[in-house]
Amino acid sequence: MSWWRRLFASRRMERDLDSELRFHMEQQVADNVRAGMTKQEAGRAARLEFGGLQQIKEDCRESRGTVLVTSVVQDLRIALRQLRKSPGFAITAVLTLALGIGANTSIFTLVHSILLRSLPVADPSHLYRIGDRNDCCYYDSFQNEDGDFDLFSYDLYLHFRQSATEFEQLAAVEAGGASFSVRSGSVPAKPLRSEYVSGNYFNTLGIGAYAGRPLHDDDDKPGAAPVVVLSYQAWQTDFAGDPGIVGSTIYVETHPFTVAGIAPPGFFGDRVIAFPPDLWMPLAGEPLIEGANSSLLQKDTDWLYALGRVRPRTNTVALQAKLSAALRQWMHTRPAYTEHGRAALIPRQHVVLAPAGGGIQRLQQHAQTGTGLRMLMLLSMVVLLTACANIANLLLARGAARRADVAMRMALGAGHGRIMRQILTESVLLSLIGGAAGVMVAYLGSRMILALAFPLSRNMPIHAGPSMPVLGFALAVSLITGVVFGAAPAWTSSRAQPAEALRGINVSSRDRSSLPQQGLIVFQVAMSVVLLAGALLMARSLYKLEHQDLGISTRNRFAVQFDPRGAGYTVDRLPALYRQIEDRFSALPFMIDMSLARYLPLTGGEWGACVIPQGHPAPGPNDKCFADWDRVSNGFLSSIGVPIVRGRGFTTQDTSSSPLVVLVNQAFARRFFPNQNPIGLRFGTDSPQYSTAFEIVGVFADFKMTDPRKEAGPLFLRPLTQQFAGFKEPDLDAGEKSFMYMRSMIFNFSQPQQNAEALIRNTLADIDPNLTVSRFGSYDSEVAWNFNQDRLMARLTGVFGMLSLVLASIGLYGVTSYLVARRTGEIGIRMALGATRSRVVSMVLRTTLLQVLIGLALGIPAALLAGHLMSRLLYQVSEYDPLALLGTTIVLGICATVAGFIPARRAASIDPMKALRSE
Amino acid sequence: MKTEKKFDLPQGTLDLLILRVVALGPIHGYAIAQRIQQMSRDALQVQQGSLYPALHRLEYKKFLAADWRPTETGREAKFYRLTAKGKSQLQSETESWARLTEIVELILRGPQGETP
Repeated sequence: MSWWRRLFASRRMERDLDSELRFHMEQQVADNVRAGMTKQEAGRAARLEFGGLQQIKEDCRESRGTVLVTSVVQDLRIALRQLRKSPGFAITAVLTLALGIGANTSIFTLVHSILLRSLPVADPSHLYRIGDRNDCCYYDSFQNEDGDFDLFSYDLYLHFRQSATEFEQLAAVEAGGASFSVRSGSVPAKPLRSEYVSGNYFNTLGIGAYAGRPLHDDDDKPGAAPVVVLSYQAWQTDFAGDPGIVGSTIYVETHPFTVAGIAPPGFFGDRVIAFPPDLWMPLAGEPLIEGANSSLLQKDTDWLYALGRVRPRTNTVALQAKLSAALRQWMHTRPAYTEHGRAALIPRQHVVLAPAGGGIQRLQQHAQTGTGLRMLMLLSMVVLLTACANIANLLLARGAARRADVAMRMALGAGHGRIMRQILTESVLLSLIGGAAGVMVAYLGSRMILALAFPLSRNMPIHAGPSMPVLGFALAVSLITGVVFGAAPAWTSSRAQPAEALRGINVSSRDRSSLPQQGLIVFQVAMSVVLLAGALLMARSLYKLEHQDLGISTRNRFAVQFDPRGAGYTVDRLPALYRQIEDRFSALPFMIDMSLARYLPLTGGEWGACVIPQGHPAPGPNDKCFADWDRVSNGFLSSIGVPIVRGRGFTTQDTSSSPLVVLVNQAFARRFFPNQNPIGLRFGTDSPQYSTAFEIVGVFADFKMTDPRKEAGPLFLRPLTQQFAGFKEPDLDAGEKSFMYMRSMIFNFSQPQQNAEALIRNTLADIDPNLTVSRFGSYDSEVAWNFNQDRLMARLTGVFGMLSLVLASIGLYGVTSYLVARRTGEIGIRMALGATRSRVVSMVLRTTLLQVLIGLALGIPAALLAGHLMSRLLYQVSEYDPLALLGTTIVLGICATVAGFIPARRAASIDPMKALRSE
Repeated sequence: MKTEKKFDLPQGTLDLLILRVVALGPIHGYAIAQRIQQMSRDALQVQQGSLYPALHRLEYKKFLAADWRPTETGREAKFYRLTAKGKSQLQSETESWARLTEIVELILRGPQGETP
């Protein structure tokens, strides 16, 4: 018989065992009678001789080897029966667990897909990236203070390929990526995300094509027929899954490209980002689209990440040293790194070889996302621990109520181990049910978090659905949770003294048996302090971020991104287009002003240049010459509500033929012209020979252009109409020309608008139907997007904080009630002896508050530590913020008092007579 | 008193005794205990607490088979009988027991003078 069949035959076997032993007993009795005993004596003697019947039965079962399986099944059955018998307890526990485990699992879903997941590529462990930073998108000199290099020019990439044969394949991929107008057939152009990659990109990653073919090296040669590979998602959403698209021609920024193939469904690129590429183009296609401004042809323009597959058993430390040497050797050949004393910086330049199986970890290493996720994981664990403490408390109380039951079973021969196992079975069963419910909570939770975290994302590569690792995580957490909260109750129950319990001792005064409960409460309070303090810190930080003075107005304004180049405009046709746009939009009802700009503040674009004031030499290696700059139409500053503090703004007098003028911000004036009136002074960019190019005509108030967490840096503005024609280097000249293309518009209405989007889109389509809007939004929401992660973190920590506060309050209330109930007799005696109600209340409250005080004493140092760990996430809030700690203490104090006061009042209303009679 | 002379059976010996008794013909548990007691001239008294687990262990190992039959009093009891496997087990166990006692004896009666 297999053990399985034996398990099912167990009922019959139990019957047999029973009758067999009974038969033996009867025979014994009969023999005893025959030997001359009375019937009663005979029975007694037989029973004495036989010993513990249940014990013998258990030994018989054990000798058959079924005992483990049958006893587990038995334990499960008993556990289910116990839970059914007290549905209130079961539901409370399951809900608490579902919240705790759900919170953990949903955070883990994100952690897994952002921090832990490998790229869906062949053999990701052999993928390495040269560089471990996240610099973006174009550099043309040294990159980081410590000499860490991560962005490379095409020339440098080729140099690496040549010097490091340890790479089976070394691919290059554009760091930035753009939104391009893509036209197919007669359908209006669509804005699609693009990424330039080297021809061996797909080969390096080991990615094939879903349809057609991936890119090959041959596609990436000068003069090769221009091709693209579409992402599966873009093919589905933007090309309706049309299989005929492979081999057909689409127009990218008006240039014809052949669709070579479609990437596999799960492939979202080499990194996890909110806007994954919709199409990949070979690097050779870049000069085609960018023309003279191509970065590919510039030997010093760093704009590529390098990602390679190393040969098996490569020593990566040696490879890293070799690559760093190659980098320095290359730099010595480039004037950009050797002129003006810069060669002194070369010795410290190096690269770091980073594992890239998880992709180029932009999102992972993004300080806030990475730290934030890790912190959330920690916080959700703490929530789960408080939940565990609550359930352990419930179980302890139940265990006390079931002492008689347990004692009876022990008297009948159940061992300590068996009792413990059974109680643990019950708690693990409970936590598994809670875990199953938690998986559902987690699905909803992670969907909500994703929607909050990446509201504008398109083709998001992260999914909320539970995957195998996530389910495994939930299962593991449930099991551990069950053991954690079941261990203490199981241990105390199994130590029950059968004799004592059977005598019915169920009343006590201040006894030690409630110490575990009180310890758990102290723990809960401490954990709540950590969570609440964290939540308050995040909330205060968010408030400071959102209510800071950004220096711009966003009210009733709308921001639009568009792409005149993609609509086929050449530089010479731009002034007419801009005039038309300004005229048409300014005439719209309620329009106060509108403007065109290359980049709008705080919407995610920036460009910079090295500023050289007139008469200054070329900056040395350690001079900070960098300033942001932007090209804008005349109405720009007023359209974003920024005042001119000195001089004048741009006017219609500033034309293409008048002297070149610029506006600078206060930070610019302080940096480059300290203690001078900058009006009338001149500066240029890139090289001393151009340092007379621009004349400062006005200074405007500082506003935050890129990072709302940082102070406003130097910024200068140039008018839409003026182009500097003096650049002798073709690349500088090409850059200047390409900067004539505006990409953003902002509209300032005098009152709230309902149909602004339709109005603006229609007006633009009226001007030219080929002009596509790649992004539209109220300026409020576009700016608010900067605080998105902070808001999410603040909300989640807030939710966690509330959750643990509620749990701790419930726990405190429960334990206090329980203690009061157990001390009914004692309190009755006290009152009979003359204790007043208020003395009883204060006596009970004292115990409660003592627990809270100890909890605070333990929790506050822990909260300080947590604050220190999250200091990177905080904006203008000290990690040791006294207000947050004070707030936490007050909130906890109030909740604890309420939670303690209710049972205390109940204790005070005890009728001494009744209490004493019940003993 | 007989009970004072009771001693613990060495590990595994009870199994051998049970097999030996059952080899005489189908027999139920109570009778096995009785028979061992008789055959040992009351020197051995088998405790039920060890008898039944041993019976079930031997049945589980397929040295014994069991079925329910009426006794001479007409009451149903579980009768054990030896299986083929049990028979060879009994044989080999008996042999090794004989060898063991022989060896133990040999040592105990070893060169005179060294024993006190």
